[in-house]
Amino acid sequence: MTRRGERVAAALADQIELPPDKSRVLRRAVRLEWLSLAFLVTAVLAMYVALGSSQAMKAAWIEDLLSFLPPIAFLITNRIRAKEPTGDHPFGFHRSVSVGYLVSASALLTMGTYLVVESALGLVAAEHTPIGLVTAFGSTFWAGWLMIAALAYTLVPPVLLGRAKLGPARDLHDKVLYADAAMNKADWQTAAAGIVGVLGIGLGLWWLDGVAAILIGASVSHDGWTNLRTALSDLMDSRASVFDDRTTIHPAVAGVRDAVRADPGVDAVQVRIREEGHVFHAEVFVVPATAAPLGDADLERIRDTVRAVDWKLHHVVVAPVRELPVGNLPVP
Amino acid sequence: MVTVDMPTKPLSTVPRIVAVAVAVLLSLAGCNGIPVDPDGTLERASGGVLRVGMSPQEPWTASEGGERSGVEVGLIEEFAAGVDAEVEWHDGGEESLIGDLHRGELDVVVGGLTEKSPWVDQAALTRPYVVVDGPAGSPEPHVMATRMGENALLVALERFLAERSTEIAQQVGGEAP
Repeated sequence: MTRRGERVAAALADQIELPPDKSRVLRRAVRLEWLSLAFLVTAVLAMYVALGSSQAMKAAWIEDLLSFLPPIAFLITNRIRAKEPTGDHPFGFHRSVSVGYLVSASALLTMGTYLVVESALGLVAAEHTPIGLVTAFGSTFWAGWLMIAALAYTLVPPVLLGRAKLGPARDLHDKVLYADAAMNKADWQTAAAGIVGVLGIGLGLWWLDGVAAILIGASVSHDGWTNLRTALSDLMDSRASVFDDRTTIHPAVAGVRDAVRADPGVDAVQVRIREEGHVFHAEVFVVPATAAPLGDADLERIRDTVRAVDWKLHHVVVAPVRELPVGNLPVP
Repeated sequence: MVTVDMPTKPLSTVPRIVAVAVAVLLSLAGCNGIPVDPDGTLERASGGVLRVGMSPQEPWTASEGGERSGVEVGLIEEFAAGVDAEVEWHDGGEESLIGDLHRGELDVVVGGLTEKSPWVDQAALTRPYVVVDGPAGSPEPHVMATRMGENALLVALERFLAERSTEIAQQVGGEAP
């Protein structure tokens, strides 16, 4: 499965014209996501077996189910995004990455909200969770220990997977991968909250279960909300930003502006860059320096200048104009 | 391997709090009997009074002229004696007894309850201790109900019932689960 995934990634990387070092990173990302899916299957099974009536434990299980979404979104968009443009989709399919990101961010927010609401309701109703005995591995003991063991198993791998995904997410400008890393963070945090909750029940602190779940739910909701805003903002064609912060303008924006402005044939320039998944779509309006119109060679030179700024500058439109378009934001 | 700085978010203190909480709770767990009753029911009943609700359902529970009999009456008396408790019996219909149990006015409810009982939201059912064929011929796992979340009591009762399981199965012509 992994070998096949690697071959697919390599083929796609060629089509989308990722630089060689980036396609190596992409192969690694695909491997990580398959690994995540494999782990999740075992985690969900282990938790299902041990699943008791603990609120935090149940939340952690549902959270693990939701965790399937980001890796699946990544692997699906990875197959779609580099397809050739068609008559129906003249801009190609790069945007599928943004859609995948929207799905992943929504999963994160749903998860966090569910955790907070469900646990708050339990706390208000003062639900005291019953956990009795269980017989497993040939002996009979308090079921809380089995639950803690299952939760502990689901605690460590997400920490490692989540950390390993952040590097490729930045290198590839892949926000699906970034949201998935946030999901992994949510995974191990809910598992930890589940352990706290079950131990709390064991010690007779019935409310600790709910409180732990609410704390983690708030943290997950915050991540989900931040990512959802970025996903919506990307789909609304906001100017390109860095992969992990909507408010920080991507350096390519200023880079393109300065590079084109430095061209001897150009008097004034306005740049609009939007994100289409991994890649950027740039429109560059240039006012020629002299009254003489810019020739084909000049325009090609300017296009290549723009492309040289960042590998992500995939679609570049250079338009010579008499004066900069009004009604758009001025050059920052 | 690409090294990355984890993005620090304002809420990154939460995992730290959780980690500390786990450590503290684990150390507490090491020096304590687990699980503990939030309301200390088992501790209160030991050497004191165990409040048991009973709805009549033969052969499990029955009452005639102040004389109680039945498999579950016997079991409860024996369990109570084991923790040095006096049984304080309360008679009533199942629904009202479960209500009292949920409000904390009773500790245990018996009356031929089965695992399929609709009271799971309001009472903590024990694990089945015996399986007998019901009136419809399908096997019915029998349980008792304890107060929600009083896990020390629940676990103690479950342990006791598991020990008696084979004996009871012979007595009522059922099977140990």
